[in-house]
Amino acid sequence: MHLCALLVILLLFQTASWGTEYGAFPDIEKNDAATLEEASRVLDEELKLAARSQAYLLIDLVTRMIEVKARGVALHRIPVAEWSASSIEQMTKTFRLNARPPILRRKLDPSSVAEQEPIAPTDMPTQYVLTFTPALSVEIAPVAQEGLSRWAWWHGVRWWRQLGRWTSSFVGGQPTQIEPALRLSLSVEQAQSLAWSLVDEMALVIRRPAAK
Amino acid sequence: MGDMSRTLLGIASAAVGLLVVTVPQSSHLQASVASVSEMAPVDRVLLHRLQERYKNLSRRLSQFAPHETYILVDTARNRLYVKRQGEVLVDAMASTGSGTVLDKPGVGHDQWVFDTPRGEFVVQSKLTHPVWVKPDWAFIEEGMAVPRNAAERVESGVLGEYALGFGKGYFIHGTLYPRLLGKSVTHGCIRLDDGDLKSVYQLARVGTPILIF
Repeated sequence: MHLCALLVILLLFQTASWGTEYGAFPDIEKNDAATLEEASRVLDEELKLAARSQAYLLIDLVTRMIEVKARGVALHRIPVAEWSASSIEQMTKTFRLNARPPILRRKLDPSSVAEQEPIAPTDMPTQYVLTFTPALSVEIAPVAQEGLSRWAWWHGVRWWRQLGRWTSSFVGGQPTQIEPALRLSLSVEQAQSLAWSLVDEMALVIRRPAAK
Repeated sequence: MGDMSRTLLGIASAAVGLLVVTVPQSSHLQASVASVSEMAPVDRVLLHRLQERYKNLSRRLSQFAPHETYILVDTARNRLYVKRQGEVLVDAMASTGSGTVLDKPGVGHDQWVFDTPRGEFVVQSKLTHPVWVKPDWAFIEEGMAVPRNAAERVESGVLGEYALGFGKGYFIHGTLYPRLLGKSVTHGCIRLDDGDLKSVYQLARVGTPILIF
């Protein structure tokens, strides 16, 4: 009977650990090797960033969520309505934001008695392109502007840029690579909130859906 | 022996039933468990290694999270939280940096930018009845000459009962203008009302992390 009791305890313990140990990504498919490999790659990158004193971004394409993180903790979450990507296989590094979207800052005038309005998230752009190093562009577009014409415009701009790169590399005799690009559709408020939260040289890690 | 077998079988069946009932996303997992049982032994070993690596990395990442009390400041929504182990101890309306700019006197295009700094900081000092030593911009903004005598820079009673410094002249402090809480109106410091400021002062110690985004 002692053996039976031990067996029950072991089974219950196993049940409990399966129920709680989902690790950093609660949505993880624990028996899918590709999913585990991708999650581990992201965690490897995050471990380097969590040790520093700056906030960083995680774009989780699996859960459709942008997370502003520090010390491995999600400080703020921004839902993504839709996304599309090209050269997604190259999105495996830690990328650094070249510059946050420009803000029209209001200047204080000591000679004026009128109070100057502060900037607010509503002053932030709703549509913008973020460029990173190594080469990556992330276009943020509001959901309301989705549609075939917007899709065609985005791809047209991308192909035009790529054509320019091909031409210059052809002239220069250098091989060229298609630059990875990501397009995220956010609500207007979330697009502005993201623009507000960004800082120059902010690090970005992308979690991709595992190839099936 | 027959009784023993039946007992074992009953307990095992009950335990398996419990497993199926209690595990989240059970239908997905049942399918996965079935596919794992069909795997070749070498695949199962590989999968186990991947699971262990994932668990280990998750555990290591979670160790970076603050395990003690910490302060979180959301500059977009002008809110300050004091948290401990996922629990929100204080949820306060704040005022953070206005994002405006002011030209520095003299030639050139140097400017003061009144942003609240972003990133991770720590409480470096805790003060009671703090006085404000007005920096140059405070005079220039008001169209006044910058005094040469340091004593003329000191102003008391404007920062509230407490102040928590987190470096480079930035403080969490009180305000004379509680109606402006919730708006981005400061020169980079973080303002709170008297009650919230007292709570933050009591919960934080020198070394408490401050995460600002």
